[in-house]
Order: sequence, then C-alpha cells, then structure tokens
Amino acid sequence: MKTYIITVMAQDRVGIVRDVSRALASLGGNITHISQTVMRGYFTLILSVEVPKDRTLLEIRQAIERAGAVGEFEVNVRPFVEPQASEPRSVERFTLSLRGADRSGLIATATEYLADNNINIEDVYAYVHDGKALILAQVSVPADVDVEELQAGLQEALKDFDVAAHLQHENIFKATSEVQPVIGLEGMR
Amino acid sequence: MKWVEDILQTVEMLQSEHLDVRAVSLGIDLFDCADRDVDRACRLAKEKILTKAASLVRVCETVSKRYGIPIVNKRVAVSPVSDVMAGHDYAGLVKFAHTLDEAAAEIGIDFIGGYSALVHKGMTVSDRRLIETLPEVLSETSRLCASVNAASTKSGINVDALLLLGDVWVEAARRTADSDGFACCKLAVFANMPEDNPFMAGAYKGIGEPDVVVNIGVSGPGVVKRAIERLLQSGRKCDLGTVAEEIKSTAFRVTRSGELIGREVAKALGAEFGIVDLSLAPTPEVGDSVGEIFEAMGIARVGAPGTTAAVAMLNDAVKKGGAFASSSVGGLSGAFIPLSEDACLARAAEAGHLSLEKLEAMTSVCSVGLDMIALPGDTSPETLTAIAMDELAIGVVNNKTTSVRLIPVPNKKAGERAVFGGLFGECPILPVPNGGSDDFVRKAGRIPAPLISLNN
Repeated sequence: MKTYIITVMAQDRVGIVRDVSRALASLGGNITHISQTVMRGYFTLILSVEVPKDRTLLEIRQAIERAGAVGEFEVNVRPFVEPQASEPRSVERFTLSLRGADRSGLIATATEYLADNNINIEDVYAYVHDGKALILAQVSVPADVDVEELQAGLQEALKDFDVAAHLQHENIFKATSEVQPVIGLEGMR
Repeated sequence: MKWVEDILQTVEMLQSEHLDVRAVSLGIDLFDCADRDVDRACRLAKEKILTKAASLVRVCETVSKRYGIPIVNKRVAVSPVSDVMAGHDYAGLVKFAHTLDEAAAEIGIDFIGGYSALVHKGMTVSDRRLIETLPEVLSETSRLCASVNAASTKSGINVDALLLLGDVWVEAARRTADSDGFACCKLAVFANMPEDNPFMAGAYKGIGEPDVVVNIGVSGPGVVKRAIERLLQSGRKCDLGTVAEEIKSTAFRVTRSGELIGREVAKALGAEFGIVDLSLAPTPEVGDSVGEIFEAMGIARVGAPGTTAAVAMLNDAVKKGGAFASSSVGGLSGAFIPLSEDACLARAAEAGHLSLEKLEAMTSVCSVGLDMIALPGDTSPETLTAIAMDELAIGVVNNKTTSVRLIPVPNKKAGERAVFGGLFGECPILPVPNGGSDDFVRKAGRIPAPLISLNN
C-alpha cells in the first residue's frame, strides 16, 4: 500500500464525504485520517489514504473528480512523505485574539510578528462582519520566550491598526470551558 | 467551531464584561513573631511579611498578563493581632498596627488585614485593648483593616463586645470626619467569621490555616448580568429556572478563572493554595454591579417586593456553579450588597426603593450583611450596637456568616450623601430610628447560642 495526502475543495452540499470516500474505496483505498471544514458555504477536506501500490496518482484524482458533477471538485493528490523529525521544541500554547477595525495587512502584520518570534500557528480562525475583524489563533510559544515582552512587542507591531490584541495562555480557556479540574491542566501540578 | 465559541465566550468575559480577580490575599501566620518585647515583635512581624510577600505584587502582575485577567487588589492577611500581641498594652498594639501598615506600604499592596479579635464568646484583656485601639489605629493608618468576630452559632452574640464597638464606630468616624468617617470603612464586625476570607475588611489568617496561604476573591457581577441579558435577548422562552441555570454555568467559568490564578500565584510564591471565594463583589463602576443583575432579572426597582427572592436565587445558583467548578471553595462565597460600593444599589437607596430594613432582609439569604451602610452622624452607639445585633442574629440563627460595616457619617443627616472614594464608592445616608432599644442593648452580656448549635 502507498499513502497519499488528498485535498478536495467544493461548494458545500450533502454527501461530499460519502462520494469521495466511496471513490477511494472503489480503488481499494483505506482512509486513515480525515479533517474537513466549511467556510462561507465552501467545503474543504484533507485526508490521508492508503491505496494499493498499482494505483497511480492520476487514477486516484480522476476517481474523486468523477464522483462529483463535472468540475465540481477541485482535487489535489500528493504522495505522503514523513515530515523530517525536527528538534522537539518545548512550547506553551497561547491564544492570540485580535478584534477591531478590519484593514488590509492586519493578518499579514500579526502573523509576521509571530513568525519572527518563532511562534507556530496551530489553528486559526478569522471572520469579518460589518467592517469588524475577529481573528483567533492557537499558537505555540517557545518556553524560553518572555511572554510579557512578546505581548508588548505585539502591541507595538499592531500600533497602526485599530485592534485590541491579546495573547493569553490556553489554560484560561481550558479552565473556563472544560470540566476537568484546574489541577489537571498542563503545568498546574 | 467549538473552540472558537469557547474562546470567544471567555474573551468576552475578560474584555467586555469586567471579569477580574478582585483580590489575591496572601495569608501569613505571625504567631512565630510573638514576643514580650514590642520592638522585637514588630521587627519579626515586619521581616516575615516582607520576606513572604516581597514578590506578591510582581507575581500577580506576571500571572495577570499571562492569562489576561486583571487582578484588582493584592492583600496580606495576618494572624489575629489580639492573639499574636497578647499581653501587650495599648501603646504596643498601636505600634504593631503601624508596623503592619508600613510593611503593607513597602511591599506595595492595597490592604493588610488581621488587626482582629475573635470575641464571640468572651474577651481577653488583649481583645478588649485591641478594640479600644481601633479608633486611633484606623484613623492613623491607611492600609490596615480590622475585624472582630462578635458572634457565632456555637456561642451566641457577645453584646458586651458590640457595646464597645458602638463607641468605636462613633469615635473612629469622628476622627475621620473630613472623609465622612472613612475609618469605619476598614472595620468589619462578624458573626461566624470565616478563617479564609480573602475580602477586606474581614480578611485575617485563620488559626487553622497553613503558614502561608493564597486565597482568591473573584468578581464578575458584570459577567453574570450580561449572561442573563444574552439569554433573555436570545428569544428563548425563559422561566426563572432557566435564568438560574445560566447564572450557574457563568459562575462555573468565573470560579475556574479564579482558581487558575490562585494556583499560579501560590505556585510562584511557594505558598499553599487555599480557596476561591465565589462572592460576586461589585465596584462603583457601571456594568460591575450586583444591583444591575437584579435589574436584568426583571426587578425594575431594586428593593421592590421580589428582591429578596432574587438575591436568594442568585446566591444559590452562584454556589451551585462554583461548587462544581472547584473543590476549594470557601471564604464568604455569596453575593455582596455593599451599598456605597454598588452604584445601582446606591441609586435605589437614593430613590427611596431600598431601605435599611430591606437590605437586612436581603442579607438573610446572602452574604455579607449590612455592608458599607452610611448612617446619620447622630446615630447613638447603642443604636449602632442594636443594628449589629440584628444583623449578627441572622447569621447566628441561620448558621451562616453575616457582618456589618457601619459608618455613622459625622455632621451629616439622613438623605445627605456620604463619599468615600475609589472602590469604597458613595451612597445616601440611610435613615435609622435612633433609640427605642437602648434598654435592651444596655442589659449587655451574651445572647446564648441558639438551639441549632447543639448538633453533635
């Protein structure tokens, strides 16, 4: 078996996951990981699938494309390559929240600041309504970084934008949203 | 996305609804500083406070930034001074009081509590002396808070002590007449005083507590009010049970944030974590009021019939949410209704909707009692004692904490305004019938413990 990573993008409707998974099953494939999201009526799917070695990449893509209407699915297939093992980083997870007036360059400026400080974005969500932007990002901050300096730097980086920016340790969100006891949270013992 | 909704709810609480940690209180045992030599006792106490609480303010600021939660007050609570300083004279107690005040200033905290005496069944010589020093001490220090436990369910009400305190209120107010009797704002008199209360003026380090302990007082009236408003605006059919459920789940979140901050601060200071006090503590700021919660619940005029039921429902729902959130809930853990510190309540009193009698009724179903009540300057010591007896009787008979913070405002009459400033706020002076119970009060002695005290 050979492993592929596949993305599918389409306008959302009932049955897309069924159609894609049925097409892969018809090739003898076995899905091992799947993640999907819908944003503004557009559906994206990323999955990992094991397919018999004699199936080509083209066959896989065409099987999925034919599972939808003509031109419905935008499909990308690439062979899975194990990511190079990087040095394990000691990190703490924080949540970045930006709220305020939307303007071109806001996300670019904020994320440039994060990248410059070696902060990885693990999940991000952004939404604009009536000219007001909301951006939430779950990020990994290296444990040796001074968080107070980081927060001050963030304010400085965004000083030309009319937004409230907050970088808060994830434990506050876990403590207030999950039923597990506070003493069970990371770093509390 | 679920994580987005969860985060947004918390972000709203923190950034728009005034969720804060009202008080981080570091309890420090001072019994190992007791000494016959007053100078040595003062030096040892100051050294211990400066050592144990040296980094309290800095740690609170760091933890506050890490989680994005403001910590409004940083405080220290010490062992009851009347016991630590047993055997010392009036001058020795006053000197010790100034030492505590100086230590508080040096470490940059807002208040230091524990200038206290536990006299619910009787007074030692030292207890009596400490009470006698209160007018001088409270008018000459800025950060020191005092408290007296004058009643308990197990022992009844010490009327002798309350008679002494009647004179203390009048004299302390007289000495600070230019600030409307502000010294009295720093004195709380209790029934069933908790050992782990983080809120001033009643915080002291209980005898059964660890050597150094962090107790947390959360806030959040604004958060609860907004939660109720959101629920009612959602278009869902909401009966009072639904409102109570909403308060309960909000209290869960508020309590959790308090416990998180408390444990982080305790870890950083090398202290034990004690408790989270669930009490909804208002400030004079709009949107941070317990009175506004009642308004959101549908009571247009706080003090109108139905208000006591609303307080009972609020208090109960907060406790249920908090009790599930943490196994370390303690202190007072109720809803506060301090008149001058809650602009909505003060307005209701000004408009004549909220009277002393209604406030007393409300305290029978919540904590903390008749709190920050401004009274006419000519209120007699006996009447002040009688008001305290009434309030403490509610605590004693119902096996709960109640307290009084009474301010007889010098040279002012009922209907005039008392202004204390800052978090102490301002309020109208409530009318009170003077006299009428003097003969009862002057009989003195102790009101015996109620039958419910025999529960073993």
